[in-house]
Amino acid sequence: MSESGLIDVFVFMGDQPSDVFRQYTTLTGSAPIPPKFSLAYHQCRWNYVDEADVRSVDDNFDVHDIPADVIWLDIEYTDRKKYFTWDVEKFPHPAEMVANLTAKGRKLVAIIDPHIKREAGYFLHEDATEKGYYVKDKDGKDYEGWCWPGSSSYLDFFNPEASKYYSERYKFENFPGTSNDVHIWNDMNEPSIQHHEQNRGRNLSKRHVHNEYGLWNIRATHQGMLDRSDNKYRPFILTRSAFAGTQRFAAVWTGDNAAEWGHLAASLPMCLSLSLAGISFCGADVGGFFKYPEAELMTRWYQAGAFQPFFRAHSHIETKRREPWLYEPSTTALIRDANRRRYALIDFWYTLFYEHSKDGLPVMRPLFQHYPKEEATFTIDDQYLLGDKLLVRPVTSAGATSVKVYFPGTESNTLWYDVDSYQARVAAGYANIDVTLAKIPVYQRGGSIIPRKERVRRSSLLMADDPYTLVVALDSNNTASGSLYIDDGETYEYKKKKYIYAKISYTTEEMTYSFVNDKATYPTQSWVERIVIAGIKVPPKTAKLHQGDKQTALQMTLHRGNDVLVVRKPAATMAQPWKITFSY
Amino acid sequence: MICSTWINRFYSFVLIISSTVIFVQSDVPRPRGVSLSKASLYSPTKDFTCFDGTVTIPFSYVNDDYCDCFDGSDEPGTSACLNGVFHCTNAGHRAQNIPSSRVNDGVCDCCDGTDEYAFPNICSNICEELGREARAEAQRLAEIHKAGSHVRLELIEKGNKRRNEMAEQLSQLESDKAEAEKIKSEKEVLKNELESKENEALKVYRDAEEKERQLKAEEEKEKLVKEATEHFIRFDANSDAILTIDEIKVVNAFDKDKDGQVDEEETKYFFGENESVDQDTFISITWPLLKPLLMMEQGMFRPAQAEGEVDQDIEAVDPKEDHDAEDLGIEDDSLDIDLPQDDHEEQEVEQEQHKTYDDDTQKLVDDATEARRQLTDAERTVREIESNIRNIKENLEKDYGLLQEWATLDGQCLEYEDKEYIYKLCLFQKVTQKSKNGGSEVSLGSWGEWAGSDNKYSAMKYTNGMGCWNGPNRMTIVNINCGLETKLLSVTEPFRCEYKIELETPAACDDSNATQNQSSHDEL
Repeated sequence: MSESGLIDVFVFMGDQPSDVFRQYTTLTGSAPIPPKFSLAYHQCRWNYVDEADVRSVDDNFDVHDIPADVIWLDIEYTDRKKYFTWDVEKFPHPAEMVANLTAKGRKLVAIIDPHIKREAGYFLHEDATEKGYYVKDKDGKDYEGWCWPGSSSYLDFFNPEASKYYSERYKFENFPGTSNDVHIWNDMNEPSIQHHEQNRGRNLSKRHVHNEYGLWNIRATHQGMLDRSDNKYRPFILTRSAFAGTQRFAAVWTGDNAAEWGHLAASLPMCLSLSLAGISFCGADVGGFFKYPEAELMTRWYQAGAFQPFFRAHSHIETKRREPWLYEPSTTALIRDANRRRYALIDFWYTLFYEHSKDGLPVMRPLFQHYPKEEATFTIDDQYLLGDKLLVRPVTSAGATSVKVYFPGTESNTLWYDVDSYQARVAAGYANIDVTLAKIPVYQRGGSIIPRKERVRRSSLLMADDPYTLVVALDSNNTASGSLYIDDGETYEYKKKKYIYAKISYTTEEMTYSFVNDKATYPTQSWVERIVIAGIKVPPKTAKLHQGDKQTALQMTLHRGNDVLVVRKPAATMAQPWKITFSY
Repeated sequence: MICSTWINRFYSFVLIISSTVIFVQSDVPRPRGVSLSKASLYSPTKDFTCFDGTVTIPFSYVNDDYCDCFDGSDEPGTSACLNGVFHCTNAGHRAQNIPSSRVNDGVCDCCDGTDEYAFPNICSNICEELGREARAEAQRLAEIHKAGSHVRLELIEKGNKRRNEMAEQLSQLESDKAEAEKIKSEKEVLKNELESKENEALKVYRDAEEKERQLKAEEEKEKLVKEATEHFIRFDANSDAILTIDEIKVVNAFDKDKDGQVDEEETKYFFGENESVDQDTFISITWPLLKPLLMMEQGMFRPAQAEGEVDQDIEAVDPKEDHDAEDLGIEDDSLDIDLPQDDHEEQEVEQEQHKTYDDDTQKLVDDATEARRQLTDAERTVREIESNIRNIKENLEKDYGLLQEWATLDGQCLEYEDKEYIYKLCLFQKVTQKSKNGGSEVSLGSWGEWAGSDNKYSAMKYTNGMGCWNGPNRMTIVNINCGLETKLLSVTEPFRCEYKIELETPAACDDSNATQNQSSHDEL
């Protein structure tokens, strides 16, 4: 929405959809590699009420063997909505609380909203008043609005001094109890104000800058989080307000939705649209913020959320609690399965986000991006691609026993392999696909290789050194290729070539794992425990691993209708390139 | 941390046991992560068949960090199978089965540290320490249970006494009731007798009244006929004793909608399908329709139909109010059933008293009135006894524990204060919450049922409290543990509008339970 000012219009001349998307992110920026944990599962609620509650939620994930990386605290953790403070009754030991989480590789995200409570004695209010950091009204006085804390004012992030002051609030000494394992949620930063009148920040009319306020807010947060760790650790920030360029600093969620099938369905076009607008790190509140999701809706939402970039369950304070274990055991089991699917693919997601940071292309893609000659794809927004490899069709209606899925790539005889059964379908447009409550249609494109980590643990951090299963889905020419990105998952060391970006290729003769940039290495402990080759027509007789000077004969078994070959425990280390040769 | 003097006593005892265990453990070789009971399923001299029987693999594949079995049974000691189970012996403390995903993940899950064998330095064996603490805690609990069960015995005794008292009370009440019912029927007979006499005496008066009433009605009717006839004659312009449409067309009074003419609709209104009416028909049908219009014309009358419409509107606009009124009415009834009856009778009596009767009749009326009052009293006595019986029966039917240990706690109220609220639990009755800043008491539930999962007497449920805004009715779970006195330890709201109270009471102490606890901790 633009109420005033000039609009700059840019025209991107790209040939193909991908070219346009790339050109757009060249202009506005693409998201840097997020900290790896942020691609895992987030558990949020307004509110986890005290330290005991946080501990019990954390423990229950382990009791019920459901992986989770982050527990979130909404506004109630503060001392009466004064941000950068803690409610000392309910959260007397925040550092210990965080330590309990990090002991299992988990993190905390705490909310910091931009409205500042106008309360005498509150340091932030007094500093901002004294130093003139607040947005002014038309008469030049500090603008007063109304939000969660009651009477509030708003920092003028367009003032570099004010932004700098705000960034410094994130220093550990200024926000006691936080650490590198505490990340930030900037909500209400449109900014959300109940009483609305003309207000000005440093000679800027609000009309001019409304859309940008949130961007400058998260920018200051981002800077503060970089500064607090001396630029060592990557910050994770979630924002509600978004503008061109937001992706450089924060992930975006689709705001306060409700536990309704329609809202689950809407999460797909909303995130697809944001993705095309440069913001790949998108998600909707799993389960719906308002209202209570019954078991089927909750199950479907977890299954859908597990395949969307930002995967967080959230709920309103007035609604019934709905952590996964509060449903019938059969539903809890389905939710566990959905989360495990996410974790098994965590390195696939991480690789997609690395590639996005390089090429600016969306992580979550509309079908027409890769199949622009198929007109039917132009309007499809209930299914999408992850990278160019996975085709995802969430189930977003009640009682579904089958859904319509469009299989693109008819002209090139593209094969799509069901990720559960490895059964291939030849692309031929729409088909009805049977589903059960345990399944949403997800297909791996023939010709692709996807890295999986099948030893799903409590949190993604605990899986860092775990071995890979490489799933090779063959195209009609019996070839496939993929990629894998590995680094420490949390620092900027990757900028010093401390990472691995590998191409993985398969032909009938050999499978290779080679580094795109030889100079970039990372001492990962990970190895290959299994290679699954789906769609094999003539199985090789022998396979031999070549790594360094060593050669090792490998064992293989055939499965399903003799078209799925499993290479047992190649044990090749991922820290070095390797090659497997096949003979027939 | 919970250390006291008798730990030392325990310590030597534990040492003996754990050394035995080490001996047993070293005696039976088994793959890593396998419990003693399953050791025989892993024989190094044979191929290994997965527990589900689907796959057989060389024994060298067991614990080789690759998952071959669908059931995970080939990798008890590694993290290779997502559905695998790792067993830690935890000598000195309780043995444990953990998911395979917790093996070598850098987090110490087993107190003996065996789950992190890939990182020998991160976990130390703390089973001795934990075991000691657990045993000390078990010992402490046992002491409390022991001391508490003495109090519990008293509670049981008192509870049984109370129940016996209640049973006695009940039988007393039953005989009281029989007596009261007898009185009631006597009073009823008396009342009927006196009332029939009263009726007889009053009949004279009533007959007179009836006659007067009939007379009045006849006069009214005559007046009406006279009035109608007068008008009929006036409207009947040609005096042929038949009133025709043409004749009424010139009479203003028939212009119902006051548009200056008597149209077809209006003639139909007065005459129906007829072209004309005779005098009788006019009197019986037309006149009653016409008279209000005439009166209105003379400004004496507002049309009844219009009033009806207004009333209907009011009802349509606010049907809720009506409902509320009804609801209130129902509540009143249930609050005091005999009130309306009394009112009614008293009114009648009053009315009749206004009249003057001769002395004999007056005496009969007074006698009958007194008989009615006595019957009402007798009926009330019966109802009161019945209500007492109901209460006692309800209490007798309440589950006060296997040995009546809870019986004397019924109605006992316990309070707990936190920063904002004062909570009150009245056992077997209700739970309430009151803000320290004032405001009214909020119901967090009324006695529902025992709700413990293993032992049903380990938790109580109070349900159907005040409704939450936009949510369910409040309810409370009371978790019960053994303690030397009956008190509340905490009140929390773990789920919205679902409260949790921790209650300690000697009623929950159990000597046998205490020894059970102790033995389970010694199990290895």
